[in-house]
Amino acid sequence: MKFGKRLKQQVQETLPGWRDKFLSYKNLKKLVKLISSTPPLLNGSLEYVKAEAEFVYLLNNEIDKFNAFFIEQEEDFVIKHKELQQRIQRVIAMWGSNGSKPSETEYKDEMAKIRKDIVDFHGEMVLLVNYSNINYTGLAKILKKYDKRTGGLLRLPFIQKVLKQPFFTTELVSKLVKECENTIDSVFPVEENGEGKKERREAITVTGEGVFRNTVAALMTMQEIRSGSSTYGQFSLPPLNLPDSEIVQSVQLNSPIPIV
Amino acid sequence: MEARPLSIQRSGVRQLNNLGVSGAMSSSLVPVFPTPLDETYPKLPDSQQISMEGEVRARPAAHATVVPSNSGAVGHIFSSSSGFSSDLQYSSVILSPYGKHPRNTPFISQSSTNSAALPIPQSSHSNMPQSTTSSRYTKESSSSWCPESLPGFIDFPTNTSLHNSQLESSSCSGVMSSEDFSKRNDWQDWADQLITDDDALATNWNELLDDNNMTDLEPKMAYQVSKTSAIIPVHQPQVQQQLPAPSGEIRNVVTPSSSANSGPAKPRMRWTPELHEAFVEAVNQLGGSERATPKGVLKLMKVEGLTIYHVKSHLQKYRTARYRPDCLEGSLEKRLTPLEEISSLDLKTGIEITEALRLQMEVQKRLHEQLEIQRNLQLRIEEQGRYLQMMFEKQKSGMDKLKASSPNAVNPSTPSSDAIQDFLAKNEQEGSQLDHGKKETDTVGANSALEGSSQELGNNNQKVPETEAPESCEPNVCETSLQPTKRSRTDK
Repeated sequence: MKFGKRLKQQVQETLPGWRDKFLSYKNLKKLVKLISSTPPLLNGSLEYVKAEAEFVYLLNNEIDKFNAFFIEQEEDFVIKHKELQQRIQRVIAMWGSNGSKPSETEYKDEMAKIRKDIVDFHGEMVLLVNYSNINYTGLAKILKKYDKRTGGLLRLPFIQKVLKQPFFTTELVSKLVKECENTIDSVFPVEENGEGKKERREAITVTGEGVFRNTVAALMTMQEIRSGSSTYGQFSLPPLNLPDSEIVQSVQLNSPIPIV
Repeated sequence: MEARPLSIQRSGVRQLNNLGVSGAMSSSLVPVFPTPLDETYPKLPDSQQISMEGEVRARPAAHATVVPSNSGAVGHIFSSSSGFSSDLQYSSVILSPYGKHPRNTPFISQSSTNSAALPIPQSSHSNMPQSTTSSRYTKESSSSWCPESLPGFIDFPTNTSLHNSQLESSSCSGVMSSEDFSKRNDWQDWADQLITDDDALATNWNELLDDNNMTDLEPKMAYQVSKTSAIIPVHQPQVQQQLPAPSGEIRNVVTPSSSANSGPAKPRMRWTPELHEAFVEAVNQLGGSERATPKGVLKLMKVEGLTIYHVKSHLQKYRTARYRPDCLEGSLEKRLTPLEEISSLDLKTGIEITEALRLQMEVQKRLHEQLEIQRNLQLRIEEQGRYLQMMFEKQKSGMDKLKASSPNAVNPSTPSSDAIQDFLAKNEQEGSQLDHGKKETDTVGANSALEGSSQELGNNNQKVPETEAPESCEPNVCETSLQPTKRSRTDK
């Protein structure tokens, strides 16, 4: 249950509002087990058809859940993205060097706030893409399990449908992410020499439930999930190829603060 | 909180089993019964009402007289069953007689009218023919109930004689009406929902509504309904009506929702930046987000397919975003972030903060990159799988034609099937992609395309797994070779 454990970890470490929006992998797996453990009744009989219908019904419910959550988040991001742009414009217009009330300290303060907000915003969007991906992976896995255990042919056509679902078509969010990155470059002061940068990055412990922590967790989880498969098949992903892996290593995760 | 239905479903089954067993045991046995019993169970033998997390309606406890004769059978049933649906059916069979103990005959007579009522809603159903649905019920009941459950119920004392006779007769109607009885229980409906598709779902609810004795069932049902189905949220108001709603009402609501096999519910509205721009413009024209009304915005935007509900919710979000910039969905996390992260980072200067942000940014960028790569890979893998599937189907139809046309043609076809089998066998190993092109001179078209795309994939990422035939390949062609290769596990 490697993926199941990773998913569980991810769910625990994800943003609190997202915890129940993930795939119920464990439960679906149990269902597959149950379905496959009554073979005399299956295969050609009505029972099998019903069991499969039930499974599909549950999967569709899950997909609906993803879609609903994803679309809502996406809408929020669209709004927020625009707002951030406008906010930057306002700050520049007001306190910038050419602005109506040029004030360096104000400008800097406001920009600092904006920077923080943008980076977190960026992180949240990336986390949503990660959410989409993890749920997709889970679906693909559970379908594979189903086919394997029941000899069904559910996987291929079903996954084709999944690929077209809103929660998997993350192009818009990715686009927003890229635009955010561009904006950030303009908002951040120019970087100093590269060497100083590396030295500053000693081990940083990231605590809290913040976006940063979650992105680090997500990245590490992804690495682990793709670290190698025992059932290597044509639908398996290769191991993760992370350049600059010291970035991740330089950041450690504390145990999450329990939510009261 | 849509994830909960599944967890509840699982725990529901477990609790179900436990409840059935405990219900079967006498009061003396209850303390003996170990941990599976949850704290949520009040003293079962004593109370008439048992509540399971408020979701399962009150279930009367077993009378002590019933118990001893039954415990053996119950034990037998529970130890043997492992399947999900079979569990529910067994449990329902066991529980339904208990459901009738304290109940008077009015209930029983009512249910017999309900069994007559059962075919009626189905007859007006647009999707499923009546015979099919009822036959499904009976098949399901008879195939799994009769053999195992009958012995258990013969031991029942006479106050369940009605139920007994119904079971023992093992007539279709008898079994069905006992199934009706069991459906009176919330959890059973709920489990039945899961087992049967939406069409049967509607009939369950109709039976519920027809049964006036079970009026307190409905609020609980509504509670479950709202939790179990994202597709059918509108049922909630209907079910809460305590009068027997005409079957047409629910039917109309059910049919728009897709049947179990056709996929998720209808597409939702997605707000794009362009749409949002148009929205903002319209809002500004109307004097700002506070003054603008959804109707006005809708009119100004003049976008097809946009409803006032969309605009309303969007306007609300917009307002929140403007006046309390930190109060969108993720804001709680944001409020936590500055305190904890900053304190742990022990920052003092603005520069250090900026540095930390840069680091955060890098990690996030990295993650995003990897996610995009992963997604593209996944898309491609599925594409190839589909392509291969197509190839195999073409191959098969080609071979069928050959076989059909002349017996001599068998020879040419076997080399190609052998070649395919070799192809598949090779695929399971961590092979390079290049070998495969050489093997398949027969299936020319497939290979050139496959080779090209394989190499392309290989260029993009190291160790791209080779595509073998999808698991759903034609049985008479590939299965024999496919099975052993599929089972083999390669160590990485």
